[in-house]
Amino acid sequence: MMILLKRIVFILVVQLVALSCCSICAQTAVMEVAYLQTDRTVYIAGESVFYKLYVLDAGTKQRSERSKVGYVILRAANLNSSVKIRVKIDAGISSGRFILPDTLTSGVYQIVAFTADMKNYGEKHFFRKEIVIANRFDKELNFKLVSSDTKESPSTKLPSLQPNIKTNKTVFGVREKVSVRLSHLNSKGSVAVSVFEDPNILSTNKSIVESLNLLEDASPDKKVLTSYTTENKGKILRGSVVDATTNINVSNATVLVSCIDTIPNLQYAFTNSNGMFQMLLNNYYNGKELFLTIKDMPTNKHWKIKIEDEFAQPDKWSPSFISENVVDKEYLLKSQNIVYINKSYPMKTDSFEKPVSNTKFICPELYHCSVSTLYPSLFVPLDSLPEIAVELLPLVSINKYNGKYRAQIMNPTTSLVYNYNKEPAIFLDGVFVDDINNIISLGSEQIKKIDVVYTERIFGDLVFQGVISIISNSNEISRTTPAIQSIRLKNDTINTGKRFEIFNPDSIQNKNFPFFKQLLYWNPDIVINDTGTTDFEFYTSDNTSDFIIRVEGISNDGTPYNASTGIHVNNQINTPEK
Amino acid sequence: MKYYISFSFLLICISLNAQNNLSENSVIDTVFSPKLTGESFFENKQYIGEQYFNKDWEKGDVLLSTGEMVYNKRLKYNGLFDEVIWMNNSNFGKYQLDKSSVSDFWLNSTTDKTIHFKHINIGDSTGGHGTDIFAQVGVEGKVSLYIQRKISITGEANVYINNSLFYFNNIGESPLYFIKLTTNHFTKLSRISRRVLLKLFPEKKKEIVKLMSDNHLNLKNESDLIKLIGLLNKEVFLEK
Repeated sequence: MMILLKRIVFILVVQLVALSCCSICAQTAVMEVAYLQTDRTVYIAGESVFYKLYVLDAGTKQRSERSKVGYVILRAANLNSSVKIRVKIDAGISSGRFILPDTLTSGVYQIVAFTADMKNYGEKHFFRKEIVIANRFDKELNFKLVSSDTKESPSTKLPSLQPNIKTNKTVFGVREKVSVRLSHLNSKGSVAVSVFEDPNILSTNKSIVESLNLLEDASPDKKVLTSYTTENKGKILRGSVVDATTNINVSNATVLVSCIDTIPNLQYAFTNSNGMFQMLLNNYYNGKELFLTIKDMPTNKHWKIKIEDEFAQPDKWSPSFISENVVDKEYLLKSQNIVYINKSYPMKTDSFEKPVSNTKFICPELYHCSVSTLYPSLFVPLDSLPEIAVELLPLVSINKYNGKYRAQIMNPTTSLVYNYNKEPAIFLDGVFVDDINNIISLGSEQIKKIDVVYTERIFGDLVFQGVISIISNSNEISRTTPAIQSIRLKNDTINTGKRFEIFNPDSIQNKNFPFFKQLLYWNPDIVINDTGTTDFEFYTSDNTSDFIIRVEGISNDGTPYNASTGIHVNNQINTPEK
Repeated sequence: MKYYISFSFLLICISLNAQNNLSENSVIDTVFSPKLTGESFFENKQYIGEQYFNKDWEKGDVLLSTGEMVYNKRLKYNGLFDEVIWMNNSNFGKYQLDKSSVSDFWLNSTTDKTIHFKHINIGDSTGGHGTDIFAQVGVEGKVSLYIQRKISITGEANVYINNSLFYFNNIGESPLYFIKLTTNHFTKLSRISRRVLLKLFPEKKKEIVKLMSDNHLNLKNESDLIKLIGLLNKEVFLEK
C-alpha cells in the first residue's frame, strides 16, 4: 500500500514538473526587442525626425521576421503622446521620418518603440530613448535634462563590430564634398549612417550595443503577461463587447467591420469567453473610416464595442530630472536661428517621396457572384425604400412589423420568403447597415443603384438570406446616425515619410543664398556586403562646427555595428590637414 | 516499471500542452484566414448515378482569386454542375462556392493522393469571353493537360417508387481533355487518339511518334495521354 502511495506521489510530482516546464517553454518561446536609431538627439519643433527601427529576436539578436507592424510614440514627461505612428516592418527593419508638431513646448521628450508581440512581456521591455526638443520661439529654454535611469553599465558584453570610418580629411571647408569609407566589416548586414552637428548636450541614450547588453541583463524576466497576437500579417484591431448596463463582457458576439466602398465589404470576428475580439486589418483598411457594429444584438440588450488603443501606454513617463543642470542654451539658440533661416530661404528641391512598396490590398468582398442591378433614376421618382421595393423590386419586400421596417427577400423560384426570422444583409455605400430603419427614407434621388443577390449567401461562417447593396449618389452612409451598438473610427495609415535628400551646394546659383544644415547626411539603408568596404558622400554646409558621423546597425547574424568619428567644418577655405 | 509509467505521463503532458497550443493557433487561424463565399446548394436528387467527382467529403485547400489560401475545408467537386461544394462545419450547410472567387483547389483524398483542380477559361472560337471551368491538372508545362471531370446526362429512366412513377436522368462520367498549347490557347481533344494528338503538333510529328514508340505508348487511355504530355515537355518542348 505504501509503495503504491509513493508511486502515485512520484507520478504526480513528475507530471507537475513536466507541465510547468511546458508552460515556461510556451511563455518564453520567442520574444522581440526593438532599437530605434534617430538622425539626431536634439531638434527644434517642426523639424523632421529621421528614424530606423530594428526589431530583433531577443535570443539570437537577428532581425525578427515575425512582426510586420511597429508602433512609435513621442511623449513628454507626465503627458499623453504627442506623436503616434504605425510603421511597416520588413524583415525586422523599418525606416522613415515623422514631423515634430511645431507647437511642442521645449523640454525632454521620450520616444517609445514597440510591437504588439512586445506588449506580452510588459511595458518595461519597450524601447525608449530621450530627445531634446526646443520650441522655435522659446528663447528662455529653461528646462532640465533627464538623469539616466541606469547608472551602472551593463554586465553583459555581447560581441559587437566596430567599422572603421575613414574620411578623406578631418577638417573641411564650407560647401565641400566629404567622402567616407566604411571598412573592416567582415560580415553582411544593414547600417544607418547619420552625420550631424555635435550638440554638446548630455545624452542619456544608449548605443545599439549598450541597449542590447542591457536587454540581455534583463532577459530572465521574460514572462508572458497578456496575449497579444503577433502582427505578422498586418495590423490587428483589438477590442471587446461590453453590456453597457451591467458592464459585463459579452462572449460569442459577432462584431462586423466594413468601410465605404462601391463594393459591399465585410470582416467579422467573434468575441471569446472574455468578451474580447481581434480582427486583422489588411492594407485595404489603411486610412479608411471603419464602421463597426454587432450583428444580431438582442433587442432588449444594450451592448457596446470598446476598441483598444494600440498606442496606449499604461503609465505616463515620469523621469527624474537633473536638478542642478540646466541645458546649455547656445546650441539650441543656434538651431533655432538655422531653422528660422531655412524657413526664410527655403531650398528649391524636387520633392521626392519615399516609394511606397507596391503592396496589393485585398478587399474583403461579400460576394463574387452575379447580381440583379437596378438604377432607380431610370424610373418614376420614388420617395422611400419601401416604395422602391414595391414598384421596382418584386422579390424584395420592405414592410412594417410592430412599428419597425424589415426587409425580406423571396426565393426567385418559389416566390416565398426564405426565412421570416432572418433578414438579408443590407449594405449602404459598401457598409453593413444594422437597421434598415436608419436608411428607410432613401428615395430614387439619393440612390445611384441597388444590387440584389436573391440566393442565401455564406461569407465565412456568416449566413445571410440574400444581399441588398445600395450605392448612394453622395455617400449617404456618412449622414446616417449609427445604431447604439455601432461605432465609427478612423484607421491610421502606415508612416513612411520622405527620404533625406543630399543637397549639392554647387547647384545653388546664387552664392549668397544661405545654406545651413545641422544634419548633413542620413541614410538608413546602407547595405554591408562582403566586399569589406562601403563608400558614401555628402556635402558640408555654411554651418561651421564639429560634426559627428555615427554608424549603427545589425549584421545578418545578429552582431551590432557601432562606430562614430568626428569632422570639423571650418569657414576658411584650404585649411591645412591636421 | 515506475520509470516507464512516469515517462509515459511526461509524454502525455507534453502532447497535451502541444495540443493546447495547436487549438489556440487554430482559433487564431479562424479569425485571420480569408473567408470563402458562396450560396446555398440544394442537391437535386433526380439523377441515377453519382454527380460528384469525389463521393465523400474530402479535406481540401482553396486558393482564392485574391491569392489567399483557405486550408482544410470539406469539399466535393460536382461534375454535373461544374461547381465546388463546401460543407460549412459550423452549420453543416452545403454551399456552392462563387466560381470567380476560386482560382485553384486541392482535394486531399484518403489514398494520400492530392488532386489539383484549376479554374481555367477555355476561350471560344468566336472571340467571346469563353467558358470558365474547373479542370483537374494533368500536366503543367509548356504544353499543359487539363481534364474536366464532367458528369453528363446519358439517358433517362422511369422508376416506380411506392407505386408512383418517377422520372430520372441517368448520369455518367464523360471527361473532357483540354490541351493548353505553347501559344497559351486551349484546345479540346475530341477523343484520346494518336491521330488527334499528332494533328495538334504537325511540326513535331516525327519526335512525337518516336517518343511514343520509345516509351511504348499507344495513346488509348488517359494515363498514356498524361505520360505523353509530360514527356513532350521534357524532351520536345524543352522548358527553359
